[in-house]
Amino acid sequence: MVGAVTIGLISTMALVAQAVLLGTVVREVLIGHATVTRTVPLLIGLGATFGVRAACAWVGEVAAHRTSARVTTSLRRQLLSRAVELGPAWLAGERTGALTTSATRGIDALDAYFARYLPTAILAALTPLMLLAWIAIDDWFSAVILLVTAAVIPLFMILLGLEATRSAERQWDRMSGLASTFFDLLQGLPTLRAFGRADDGRATLERANGELRDETMSTLKVAFLSSLALETLASVGTALVALFLGLRLLQGTLDVGTALAVLVLAPEIYLPLRRAGAEFHSSAEGRAAAEGILDLLDDADDEKEKGPAPTCPLPDLTSSPVRLQNVTVRHPDRAGAVLDGIDLTLEPGEHVAVIGESGSGKSTLLSVLLGFTVPSDGEVRIGDARLDDCSIRAWRAQVAWVPQRPNLVRGTIEDNLRLGNPGATDAEVVRALERSGLDGFVARLAGGLDTQVGEGGLTLSAGERQRIAIGRAVLRDVPIIFLDEPTAHLDVDREESLRAVLEPWLEGRTVLMAAHRGGLVGRVDRTVTLVAGRAVASASGEVLR
Amino acid sequence: MSRPRSNTAMAQTPGTPLEPRPRFGGPLARVLRIAAPDPRKFLSGSALGTAAALCTVGLLACSGALIDKAALRPPLYTLTLLMAAVQLLALSRGPLRYAERLVSHDAALGALGRVRLWLYDVVVPRSPAGVAAYRNGDLLARATGDVDLLQDVYLRGVGPLVTALATSVVTVAAVTVILPSGGLVLGICLFSGTVAASSLAWVRRRRLGDGEGALRGTLSADVVELLAAAPDLVAMGRDEEFLERVLASDSELERRARRRSWSDGAVAAVVVAATGAAVVGMLAAATNAIAAHRLPAFMVAVLPLAALGAFDVVQPAADALSRMADHVEAAERLLSVVEIPIPVQDPLQPDALPDASTISIVAGVLRYRPDGPRALDGLNLEVPEGRRIAIVGPSGAGKSSVVNVLLRFWALESGEALIGGTPLDHLRQDDVRSHIGWVGQDAHLFPTTIGGNIAVARPGADADSIAAAARGAQLGPWIDSLPLGLDTPVGEQGARLSGGQRQRVALARALLADAPVLILDEATAGLDRPTARRLLHDVLAATEGRTLLSITHRQEELAWMDEVVVVDAGRVVDRYFPGGNSDDVAADPTGGTTEARRDARARR
Ligand SMILES: Nc1ncnc2c1ncn2[C@@H]1O[C@H](COP(=O)(O)OP(=O)(O)O)[C@@H](O)[C@H]1O
Ligand SMILES: Nc1ncnc2c1ncn2[C@@H]1O[C@H](COP(=O)(O)OP(=O)(O)O)[C@@H](O)[C@H]1O
Ligand SMILES: [Mg+2]
Ligand SMILES: [Mg+2]
Repeated sequence: MVGAVTIGLISTMALVAQAVLLGTVVREVLIGHATVTRTVPLLIGLGATFGVRAACAWVGEVAAHRTSARVTTSLRRQLLSRAVELGPAWLAGERTGALTTSATRGIDALDAYFARYLPTAILAALTPLMLLAWIAIDDWFSAVILLVTAAVIPLFMILLGLEATRSAERQWDRMSGLASTFFDLLQGLPTLRAFGRADDGRATLERANGELRDETMSTLKVAFLSSLALETLASVGTALVALFLGLRLLQGTLDVGTALAVLVLAPEIYLPLRRAGAEFHSSAEGRAAAEGILDLLDDADDEKEKGPAPTCPLPDLTSSPVRLQNVTVRHPDRAGAVLDGIDLTLEPGEHVAVIGESGSGKSTLLSVLLGFTVPSDGEVRIGDARLDDCSIRAWRAQVAWVPQRPNLVRGTIEDNLRLGNPGATDAEVVRALERSGLDGFVARLAGGLDTQVGEGGLTLSAGERQRIAIGRAVLRDVPIIFLDEPTAHLDVDREESLRAVLEPWLEGRTVLMAAHRGGLVGRVDRTVTLVAGRAVASASGEVLR
Repeated sequence: MSRPRSNTAMAQTPGTPLEPRPRFGGPLARVLRIAAPDPRKFLSGSALGTAAALCTVGLLACSGALIDKAALRPPLYTLTLLMAAVQLLALSRGPLRYAERLVSHDAALGALGRVRLWLYDVVVPRSPAGVAAYRNGDLLARATGDVDLLQDVYLRGVGPLVTALATSVVTVAAVTVILPSGGLVLGICLFSGTVAASSLAWVRRRRLGDGEGALRGTLSADVVELLAAAPDLVAMGRDEEFLERVLASDSELERRARRRSWSDGAVAAVVVAATGAAVVGMLAAATNAIAAHRLPAFMVAVLPLAALGAFDVVQPAADALSRMADHVEAAERLLSVVEIPIPVQDPLQPDALPDASTISIVAGVLRYRPDGPRALDGLNLEVPEGRRIAIVGPSGAGKSSVVNVLLRFWALESGEALIGGTPLDHLRQDDVRSHIGWVGQDAHLFPTTIGGNIAVARPGADADSIAAAARGAQLGPWIDSLPLGLDTPVGEQGARLSGGQRQRVALARALLADAPVLILDEATAGLDRPTARRLLHDVLAATEGRTLLSITHRQEELAWMDEVVVVDAGRVVDRYFPGGNSDDVAADPTGGTTEARRDARARR
């Protein structure tokens, strides 16, 4: 920033020199009847001032960029890590399309703010004063005209700036609305087509387009109005200066060299102000986008202030039980609690099944244990320690979770398996394939483990995705296993054989499994039924089968 | 990027009238035609812009003349004309520029919306099979970033170039009339400045190559992936690493921006230097001419100042040239989607949809990739009208692939799929789909409300039929318990519902479609046994007499079916008739055996 401003000031000084030299040459020719040969040194000097300004333009561009790049990159990192940190419960209520647009385009737009607006704003405060001071020395009359007209400009900028900020915010809302709409349509296109609704999707998009267009146009109108005002002021100011210069020249009270220098400098007094005004408007999108981003990051700061970083070491999970104590979870827009004072203890090495109607809170229970859902009441304890006091990362590092709807990432089958444990050896990967019953499937593929799974793993069947999730959990080799309906998409035979290969692996680990059907774990030690948010114990796992 | 090729690729036909038919010119030319603003608006915008630029030139020149003349101290009346000109030019420049901006932005924004709709129209017929290689986040970046870049093609590309050209020509002509050597100097400086700036831009393109747009697309797609997979990644402690992976494209973009700032700075420097050359040159030429009495002395300041004004338009034009490469890339990225062949084409002369709704597949072979394994490998299936058929089989057997074929999402490589005896590829896709209600495995929910998701099947459906469909899908008591009822938001991807609730909303949607054929793809997978049982009970009652194709892993459901087809490795390996010998028959809502049901249908 300092660099950009310094360069701007140097450029201004070159400008003054340029104006003076131009005025001198003209005076020499006009009054002194000089020939080219006599003006050569002056012309060289004039050329040199342009040279300096060219260099300033170059270096200034590079310097401006330096400042912004650092800020935007770090903002992008902060925003994304914050979004991830807030976790699934928060993401569930966010529009992926809008969030993505903030993180990409929104932050790019901030570039205009840091690289262009800020330096020009500072220069706008400095250079006009410098130039005015110089003009005042030679010609205080013009300086007064310029000062009066230029002083109105900031007033305009403030008035229009407020309106511009408001409408830029509305425009950004429309922009992210449009992005969300487009993204949702893309995601749901197969569904829309299956129901013959692609045209309705188009109509929705057209509407969003129209709204964005109207809002953009009204934002632009403010920006254009502001530059109209600034430009008119600048032109009128320059013209007034020119007229009065002419009149005083006629009277013979002014030197033509000075007059010409003032004339050349007059527009340059308005230029930084006008430029700052223009950059203010063109960085409005960035500022509007930043609004939301900064809100999100501010919340993060608030939370950090809440308490010191957890320090308590994680108890040994092979000997300490995991306990839910009086856990209550309420969701917004839902009547009553999903989990209503649940007490549940998982002894080390114990296999427990959670059953219950769809929507009874099985997945929510696992989400609490994973630290994704913060219970409104009660707590999770590991041995004697509260989970809140321990590092959640350290706890998750001891847990393998097979989600109800696993998310795969773009890459190969092997990449996805290794998500569980990047350091796994090839032999371990092969074992995991067998354990998850994927070996036959992979063997049939021409690309084997190197087969790409596509975005979100959508080139696989649902059962295959689920088994990859099991495979990557197996690779983790951790003491605590959470399974969320891991075999819902498998046929009975597959489920049986999976059970046979997995059972030895599950032996000795603590397992909590949500299930409807017989499930993976052939013989659980205990079954807990969720009814109306409460846990009802059942005798043995055999009831499930 | 590897583009998926389809085995049924036919000659590519334009999907929309907007699509440029013949491939004249480069990608930019083609997209320019799609994004072309209203020509009248564009031309008036350029004319206004030129007028405003000429005002600047005139204002500077007239003020210079005024001062020079005044310095010679003539009588005042000789200056009045110049004074009036200065005032007029000063006052008209702002309004002219204002009008120019309004007109040209209005034109450009209109064109922009059209490009976005065009992209949608291009993607629709190619989804899902054709665009599988594209990531939705990348397509999103195309719809926002690349489309917006195209806005600049006119606003900051063609427009400034036209204005610059017109302004330069007029200024040079005017200067030439006054002083031919001055006109020559100005012309040379304008020309060489522009050439130097554009060759710098060209050099940059050679050095950096393409790919900024692609990087932005990757970044966007990576962000989408990070957000979608966040639960899994966080649980496995891989989120930070993934974030770094996402930010890799960010730092590459940043590296490029740094190098770009060098060349942008160089372009700006070239423009300033050329301005300097023009001013100095004009001053020298004027001095020379004045000394030789070829030019009145008061003109000495006029010519350099006119040059100063003329160069005002060069910087935007130079920027336009250096941005051209980005525009071309954006255009290429948009057009690359069009280049994917449409995987499943509507026939030119479609047959009428037959009345009968018997579905069959004869020796169907399906491959998802030309080099991939056969997902369907000579599959034969018949689902007679009004029958209830279950498909069972291991995961990956090809069960969902059967549905993909019936819904015309993918085309068979060989063999035939028919409805009512008419091959599906003789029918319009929409007609076929209007015949089928579908509950996909992992059904997609839109991030609106429960009711909104159900109404996708029939927009404008009244609240009663939506509620009835929800009850039919066993959602009644749950929805009644919700404070917002059907207006409860479901969250992104339905994340604020349980798995079973999602599945049932999708089922309600299919019930609302009220089509002659209902296809359930593991619709009861996420449900507990009693709910699943009630659900099937109600669905069977609601679809009595209609054709049902149900893919399921639940043994207990099979007893309610007329026939069970066992699929393995893309083939039907077994089929049997479960009716009559199961305990569950007693629970059949339609009263007893398969035979009884068939009789009932015959009577209707
Ligand atoms: N993010 C959320 N916001 C609001 N309600 C939720 C959210 N997640 C789950 N629910 C509700 O909580 C209940 C329990 O869901 P879940 O634990 O997924 O059930 P299941 O036992 O089928 O796994 C359901 O009624 C569901 O609609
Ligand atoms: N879009 C796709 N691209 C590539 N392969 C696919 C795609 N969809 C499914 N497959 C593959 O085709 C096979 C059959 O899949 P599918 O019909 O979904 O099985 P299921 O019987 O479990 O429903 C699987 O091996 C799967 O990996
Ligand atoms: Mg669940
Ligand atoms: Mg399937």
